Amino acid sequence: MKEVNEKLLIDVGSTYFKVSTASSIEQHLRDFNKDILDDLTYKCGEIIHGYDKDDIYICSSANGGLSTLIIGITNSFSLKYATNIAFNSGINIIDKVLYQNIEDYSVPSDLIDVVIVVGGINSSSNIFGEPLFSYLEKLNYSNIVYVGSEEEAPRLQATIQNLVVLPNVIDNKLHIIEEHLKEYLTNLYQLDIVGKEDIKNLYTITSNQIYPTPYIVNKTLPFIDTKFAVVNPFILIDIGGATTDIHYSKDLVDENIVTVNEYDRLVFKKLGVYKSKESLIFTAKNNEFVYELLTYLKVTENIFEEQSEKALKVLMQLAIFLVLCKMSHYKQAYINLKLLSINSIVLTGGITKVLADTEVEDIISFFYKKILNSSHNPSVVMDHDYDIWTLGITNNKG
Amino acid sequence: MKVVTGVVGNDIHVVANRLIELSLNARGFEVFNLGVNTYLEEFFDAAVETGAEILLISSLNGEAEGWSREVKLLKSKYKTLDNLVMVIGGNLVVGTASAETIVPKYKKYGFDLVFHQVDLNTGLDTLEEYLKERNN
Ligand code: B12
Repeated sequence: MKEVNEKLLIDVGSTYFKVSTASSIEQHLRDFNKDILDDLTYKCGEIIHGYDKDDIYICSSANGGLSTLIIGITNSFSLKYATNIAFNSGINIIDKVLYQNIEDYSVPSDLIDVVIVVGGINSSSNIFGEPLFSYLEKLNYSNIVYVGSEEEAPRLQATIQNLVVLPNVIDNKLHIIEEHLKEYLTNLYQLDIVGKEDIKNLYTITSNQIYPTPYIVNKTLPFIDTKFAVVNPFILIDIGGATTDIHYSKDLVDENIVTVNEYDRLVFKKLGVYKSKESLIFTAKNNEFVYELLTYLKVTENIFEEQSEKALKVLMQLAIFLVLCKMSHYKQAYINLKLLSINSIVLTGGITKVLADTEVEDIISFFYKKILNSSHNPSVVMDHDYDIWTLGITNNKG
Repeated sequence: MKVVTGVVGNDIHVVANRLIELSLNARGFEVFNLGVNTYLEEFFDAAVETGAEILLISSLNGEAEGWSREVKLLKSKYKTLDNLVMVIGGNLVVGTASAETIVPKYKKYGFDLVFHQVDLNTGLDTLEEYLKERNN
C-alpha cells in the first residue's frame, strides 16, 4: 500500500475545482467554456503529469445530482426510508408521492432520473394497481426501481417496462434495509456524473473510480476525530456553489430509523453562494429574522446587490443561519435535528477560506439565541485544509 | 392474523408492551410491535405497510385520552383502513374514572374494543371472541 502523500486528489465542484497534493491545496475557479479535463490540465497540468494514473483520485459534485420521484404508501415507513436512502446515496432532488392519493398529484413535466416505487413488508399484497400504472404512463423518467413487498413484484414487473426489482427496504420488523437500494442509486449517480458533465474524460488521467463528493465526505465522518477535536454529536455543514449539505450524527434525530450508517445527510438544493445565490437571497428575504441578522452583522439589504468579499461573507453567514433554521422547528426539512444536543459544528469547503472562525461563531450564537432562545454554544471546527475530503478520498481506496 | 401494537404518545412504560407481544405471539398472531413512544400516524402507517387487520394500542400513563380525540379524523384520511379492528387498553385516563364512563367515550373516539385496567389475558380472550363473531 502506498503512502497517502503520494496521491493526487482532485475534487470537481460546480464552481471550483481543488487539486491537493501532500504539500499543497490549490483551488481554481472553473472555466465553463472549457471541457473539465482541458481546464484542469491547463491550470494544473504540471502537477498532474507528475503522478501515475493509479495515484490520482477524483471525486465530483459538479452535476448537481440526480432527480428522483418516490412513490410510497406511508410517510412513516416506505416514503421515509426510501428518502433517507436516496439522500445518503448522493441524490438531492426528491419528489414524493403518497400512493393512496396519487390521483391528486400533478405529474412533473421534467425528466425524472429515477423513480422509486416502495411499500409494504414482504407478506403484504394488493398494494399497487391501476392508479400507479396510469401515473407512470404520464411520467417522463429514465430509470425505475421497485423496493417494496416481494409479493407485489411479479405483477409490477409484468406491467412496468424495464422495472428493476431489488430486495425490500422494509424488513419484517418494519426496520429499514439500506444496502441494495443504496448501491443501486450510488451506481446510477456515478454513471450520471460520468454521463452529464464531461467527467468521463477525466478517466484519461485516473485509473481509480470517480466518486460523488458527498459520498466521500459521509465516509469520512466516523474518523473525523483523528484530525479534529470534534465532540459527538456533531453536524458538518458544507456550503457549496449550488447546494448546501449537512451531514449529521444519527443521535441528533428522534426518528427511530435503524440504519448501519452513523451519519446521515441532508441537502438544501437551492442554498448555494454562487450558482444558486439568487434563491439563497430569496430564501433569506423570506426569513423574518434575517433583517435583524443583517443589522447584527452591521450591513443593510443593499449588500445583496454587491459583488465584494464582504458580500460573499454575508451570503455565507446567511447560508449557515438558514440551514440551521431549516433543521429547527420550521419543520420544512424532512428531518428536524436536536440542535440543542449538538456539541460541535464542523465547516468544510470554500467557506473556511472566506470566513474567520469568529465570524462563524457569531452566526451560530445568534441562531441559538434568536431561534432557540438558548445560550447553548457548540464549538466551531473549521476544516481549513480540506482534511475531511482528503481523509475520505484516501480512506475510500487506500 | 397481523396485529400492530405499541404504546401511544410519550409514554415509556414498556413492561406491558413486552407482555402483549409475547401473549399475542403465543396466541398465534403475527405481531408488529412499534414499542413505546409511538405516535398515532405511525400506528396507522404501520397498519398500511403490514396489511394488519388489528391495531392494539396501549396507554399506561393515561395520555391516550388526549391522542384518542384525533383518531377518527386521522384514520379518515387513510383509504385502506376501513376494516381495521381498533383496540385500546391500559390506564385510559389520568387519575381515576370508572369503566362505565371511559368505555363509551373511547368507543366514540373510534375504538371497537376498550379495556380500562383490564387484565391482558381477559382482554385478549375478548378480542378473539370478537374476531370470531366478526368473521361469521
Ligand atoms: C414501573 C412504572 C414506571 C417506570 C416505567 C419503567 C418502564 N420503562 O417501563 C417509570 C419510573 C419510568 C415510570 C414513570 C412514570 N410513571 Co409510572 N408506573 C410504573 C408502575 C409502578 C408499574 C408499571 C408496570 O410496569 N406494571 C407491570 C405491567 C405488566 O402492568 P401494567 O403496565 O399495568 O399493564 C397491564 C395492564 O394495564 C394491561 N394492559 C396494558 N395495555 C393493555 C392493552 C390492552 C388492549 C389490554 C387488554 C390490556 C393492557 O396489561 C398489563 C398486564 O396485565 C405503575 C403503577 C402500577 N403499579 O401499575 C406506574 C404508573 C403506570 N405510572 C404512572 C405515572 C403517572 C408515571 C409518570 C408520569 C410519573 C412521573 N410523574 O414522572 C412517569 C411517566 C413517564 C412516561 N413518559 O410515560 C401512573 C399512571 C397514572 C394514570 N394513568 O393515571 C401509574 C399507574 C402510577 C400511579 N398509580 O400513579 N413509571
